[in-house]
Amino acid sequence: MNRKRADRVFNLVKRIMEGLLVLLFGLLVLDVLWQVFSRFLLNSSYSFTEELARFLLIWLSVLGAAYLNARREHLSMDFIYSKLSNQNKIRLSIFGEVVIFVFALLVMLVGGANLVFITMHLEQLSGTLRIPLGYVYCILPVSGFLIMCFSVYHISGFIRNQPKPLG
Amino acid sequence: MSMELFSILVLFASFAILLFLKVPVAYAIGISTACSLLLNLDKLPGLTTIAQRMTSGLDSFALLAIPFFVLAGEIMKRGGIANRLIKFANSLVASLPGGLAYVNVLASMLFGAISGSAIAATSAIGSIMTDKMEEEGYPREFSASVNITSSTTGLLIPPSSILIVYALASGGAASVAALFLAGYLPGILVGFALMGYIAFVAINKKFKRGKRATFSEIWNHFKRAFLSLLLLVVVVGGIVAGIFTATEASAIAVLYAALLSLAYGDISVRDFPDILLSAAKTTAVVMFLISTSMAMSWLFSFQGIPQMISEFLLEQFSDKFVIFLIINLILLVIGTFMDITPAVLIFTPIFLPVVMELGMDPVHFGIVMVLNLCIGLCTPPVGTILFVGSGVAKVSVSKVIKPLLAFIGIMIIVLLLVIYIPGISLYLPSLFDL
Repeated sequence: MNRKRADRVFNLVKRIMEGLLVLLFGLLVLDVLWQVFSRFLLNSSYSFTEELARFLLIWLSVLGAAYLNARREHLSMDFIYSKLSNQNKIRLSIFGEVVIFVFALLVMLVGGANLVFITMHLEQLSGTLRIPLGYVYCILPVSGFLIMCFSVYHISGFIRNQPKPLG
Repeated sequence: MSMELFSILVLFASFAILLFLKVPVAYAIGISTACSLLLNLDKLPGLTTIAQRMTSGLDSFALLAIPFFVLAGEIMKRGGIANRLIKFANSLVASLPGGLAYVNVLASMLFGAISGSAIAATSAIGSIMTDKMEEEGYPREFSASVNITSSTTGLLIPPSSILIVYALASGGAASVAALFLAGYLPGILVGFALMGYIAFVAINKKFKRGKRATFSEIWNHFKRAFLSLLLLVVVVGGIVAGIFTATEASAIAVLYAALLSLAYGDISVRDFPDILLSAAKTTAVVMFLISTSMAMSWLFSFQGIPQMISEFLLEQFSDKFVIFLIINLILLVIGTFMDITPAVLIFTPIFLPVVMELGMDPVHFGIVMVLNLCIGLCTPPVGTILFVGSGVAKVSVSKVIKPLLAFIGIMIIVLLLVIYIPGISLYLPSLFDL
């Protein structure tokens, strides 16, 4: 894939993720507010709101983590990095992306997919909503796959822009 | 060397190396956990266990208070709420020598308390106050130090999401309501101690005084800030009275902040997607850290590390005051390298059993731990508030450190008082039988 097309796909995926994050967060707020109001005003409690809120939080957190990888905005310590030459900054950034790639592949994609597989196989359902827990966990392999793609994209960017570091 | 010791060594060594090589902290925690666990478990079950702990660690209704307080802070940051609080604080304390520095402390405390987020307080108050203070001759790095250290009080003065996280990590030993009440006096004490030091500097350096506000001016500014301050009563009152849970209270804080900012005309409905995205990013930083920290915390208990440390401390040192001191020294070091949320999640299960064995109240320990880790938030290399505070003040971190050191010294003195005088933390909860 040439770089321009990769950039276009990257930006499109980033946009879609932004939309999803806003949607998930908005739903989360409305869901918990609904829980409070239904208890006080309608005097009835919907226990599904609590479960839905927990699942939305998992999705928001893990998908949000992948989005941070796209923007390279995770919290990190740069007191050694900031003292390095540009050439070494690029090397270190590539190393970081490789490490992230391996974690996303092994833990999030392989471990996560196995987790989804096991819970689907055991037909585990959630307490009140009665949805398969595998659906909730599937955000882990999905985000893992996205993070791997972002890592490859960033690494190829670093290799191209050798003299000046990104980010 | 025994297998347990070797896997612990692998855990710490790989974690330290990855941190220094600028691997994001959350990944460094996750990868070192994976390396260590794979020494003990087979590959696929090991990887699946970590994936499972990462998701189950996030699966908690209590943790929802974090995104909601972040969101409330994000809304308030954009609105005129910060300005109203600053004007109110200004009318109260500007006429003292070094007046604007007190205004900075008071406004950071109020904003930190209302928004439940120290970082929101640092950026909202710092971005306004640093310029104002420079006009009156305060060096920017001095203003930044004032702003950075006083913002941490927002983590002690309720509502505070980190105290909710501690309640979760304590496994029910400490209730959110008791922790919230316990946080007031230590938080206010930190603020007053910082002001005391500022008075000393102000008289030495002859900082300007503002003009004294008349009573009617103070009343006017109070009225303008009243609705913002009312949020504190609604949220904390609701939790302490048991009307709603901490998570529900944090959602109400979001609604309240949104309605107030809309009514003030500070934001419009069209700003919501932008605000939500910003808050989602901050949330993801913290929550992904929590996710991998929960995996690491599980690994610790899987390998029996809490018992090992507890036995070691209790055998080696007979005096409980010495043990408290050692635990606090360890936490101070941890705080410089680790963000406060993962530190609370990982080290509460390790140290809480030790101090409870020695008769320390879990609520008291929670306040000590949070105040201790607040100091780490203001110090390099990993000081989130230090970086945000230097950023909004537009001065380099290395310049801020010199004036900052004295303020950190003050915080350490307050920490010692809070450790050895339990009443500072436990008096208010005892009034409410909590």
